[in-house]
Amino acid sequence: MIKRLLAATSIVTLCLASGASAAEKIEMWVRSGIGESFKKVVEAYNASHENQVAMTEVPFSELVQKYATAIAGGQAPDALSLDLIYTPAFAAAGQLEDLTDWAKALPYFNSLSPSHVKLGTYQDRIYGLPLSVETSIFAWNKDLYKKAGLDPEKAPTSWEEIEANAEKIRALGDDIYGFYFSGGGCGGCMIFTFTPLVWGSGADILSADGKTATLDTPEMRKAVDIYRSMVKKDLVPASAASDNGVNFLTFTNGKIGQQSLGAFAIGTLVTENPDINFGVTLIPGVNGGTSSFAGGDNFVITKGTKKVDAVKEFLEYTYSMDGQKVMAKYGSLPTRGDIADKVLEGLDPRMQVGIKAIEVAKTPYTLQFNDLINSANGPWATFTNAAIYGDDVDGAFSNAQSEMQSIIDTGQ
Amino acid sequence: MAGPGPGKALPMRRRRRRSQWRGLLYIAPAMALVIVFFVMPVLFTGWMSLHNWPLLGSPRWIGFNNYFRMANDARFVSALRFTTYYTVIVTIAIFAVAFPLAIFVEKHRRFVGAYRTIIFLPVVVGLASASLLWVWLANVDSGFIGPALKALGLVEKSPNLLATFDSAFFTIIVMVVWKIAGFTMIILLTGLQAIPSELTEAARIDGAGSWQRFRCLTLPLMRRTIALALIISVTGSILAFDQFYIMTSGGPQNRMISVVYYIFNQSFVSFNLGYRAALSIALLAILVIISVVQLRLLRVGEDRP
Repeated sequence: MIKRLLAATSIVTLCLASGASAAEKIEMWVRSGIGESFKKVVEAYNASHENQVAMTEVPFSELVQKYATAIAGGQAPDALSLDLIYTPAFAAAGQLEDLTDWAKALPYFNSLSPSHVKLGTYQDRIYGLPLSVETSIFAWNKDLYKKAGLDPEKAPTSWEEIEANAEKIRALGDDIYGFYFSGGGCGGCMIFTFTPLVWGSGADILSADGKTATLDTPEMRKAVDIYRSMVKKDLVPASAASDNGVNFLTFTNGKIGQQSLGAFAIGTLVTENPDINFGVTLIPGVNGGTSSFAGGDNFVITKGTKKVDAVKEFLEYTYSMDGQKVMAKYGSLPTRGDIADKVLEGLDPRMQVGIKAIEVAKTPYTLQFNDLINSANGPWATFTNAAIYGDDVDGAFSNAQSEMQSIIDTGQ
Repeated sequence: MAGPGPGKALPMRRRRRRSQWRGLLYIAPAMALVIVFFVMPVLFTGWMSLHNWPLLGSPRWIGFNNYFRMANDARFVSALRFTTYYTVIVTIAIFAVAFPLAIFVEKHRRFVGAYRTIIFLPVVVGLASASLLWVWLANVDSGFIGPALKALGLVEKSPNLLATFDSAFFTIIVMVVWKIAGFTMIILLTGLQAIPSELTEAARIDGAGSWQRFRCLTLPLMRRTIALALIISVTGSILAFDQFYIMTSGGPQNRMISVVYYIFNQSFVSFNLGYRAALSIALLAILVIISVVQLRLLRVGEDRP
């Protein structure tokens, strides 16, 4: 009798144990505003695998502090889609799982997006791997071009041309505008879409070693003048002045003639707003040349999570042909260079512009990215609003220049 | 001779001591709450303020350096300046609206219950929800205020209220007054109702006009109520955060960073928990000083009205 009872309980325990290990539930966070690609790959994974991913979308401007406080409070998710800019800071703080051995054993490790792997590496150990790649590009609405008597197939190549086109488009109607940008102190939006204007012409906002702020350049002055002039001529909707990034995809409403966007937006436009007929090209510099911001997310695993294997299985799925295809369909450029062509096969040809942008793209490297650039109250976000909308352009330049420098200096 | 003295005093002292213990027992639950949720956090904050304490990583003792840093922190000074400006304006605005309202709803008239309820209703809305509501109301395209002004023909083009400092500040003041005035009104109402009607009658018989009655009778008798309402309003305004964070994210060009907003940024944007602890202690000291000064100025507790 006792033997039977023992046997029964052990079977039950066995069942329970195996039941628990059979289907893990992975908690994962992702930042908002990166489009549908990640959501869709999670859906595809959940439909085809026993393990399940529970995704939580966190506002992009708060992801870093939420994650940092969650770690401090022991409530962190198992894995995270982290803006690649922040990977070194979190790795340096010892909060991420070391992925080096597993990553190097992946047969396609060497073809993973190199800039992501570089930012995911800290002291020769790998803590973050590429999840999504995005570049900034310039988009124009072909239907509005046509209505305004412009050639809808001809991409503008200079900002003089863009401004002239914007004026013609603005003349179409009361609620039709020529240009849009999130100008209400959205540091992330503006570093993504506005700095390519100066990068394309060879200037930068930080020195190469990241230790000197070099904001006040003739190129930046010119870029600011271009935006100021478009605002003054009423070519930009009034709502742009207070848009803190929430309405970054205003272009999708079909009433904006031109806007600098990200490759993610191509996916969103193609899949969610198919009625918008648009073209994309590289963002011109103020004095010629083109540039782009290479961004995207790294996949990181919180140190100490018990579900490492399940998380790795999910990441391998996103690197598979199926996973990459799903991501690319919704606008994330392929993270694996070896199968990029195959992944993009049959997809919207405009995605190729996003790939081309990688060649001219830059990514600022600084451990104080949040303080300097992304924070809504940081010097860069304040500068973009003050210089474009304020009355005192010189003051905006000198304030931001000195504040950036002081943040860099206190961080040394 | 030395013996009996203490021997006689002992039972008395013991009895007193016992009743002291009993008193302590009665206030123990309240004391426990205060100690756990106020004293200990404050002490811990004070301890943190003596460290360089990053959110991730280990803290390092730096003595009073955080306080020295505060003295030279231009951003903290401008946050203080803005908070003072906001507190003065919003407190005057709230009282300017709440006092007439309190006098209005104090008199017995038809539907006075309905008036009181309507005026008080916004108070039960959370400040964050109210802020979000007003973000929508103030939206330039899909909101209410701007498009309504345009529809009435008062402006040619719908204005973006949150884009410039003056209009955004004005919008926030209107929102806060709409939200808070009802609460201040209720406090003032209780003060008004506590004034015996005989006094007013007597003053009237003596020939005092309505302004004289208000100035020489109502105001002095309401001193303690006003002090309470003033301290609640000033403290609330100094601790203002939600409306700036939600409605303007710090305002056009960072000009709406209140002290609490700056502390929040130090904590969760720059991850300087040590420095933010020092700032919090400084803010606590400022609040205590302001409250003491207010109580002194209004001479609360010295005499009975």
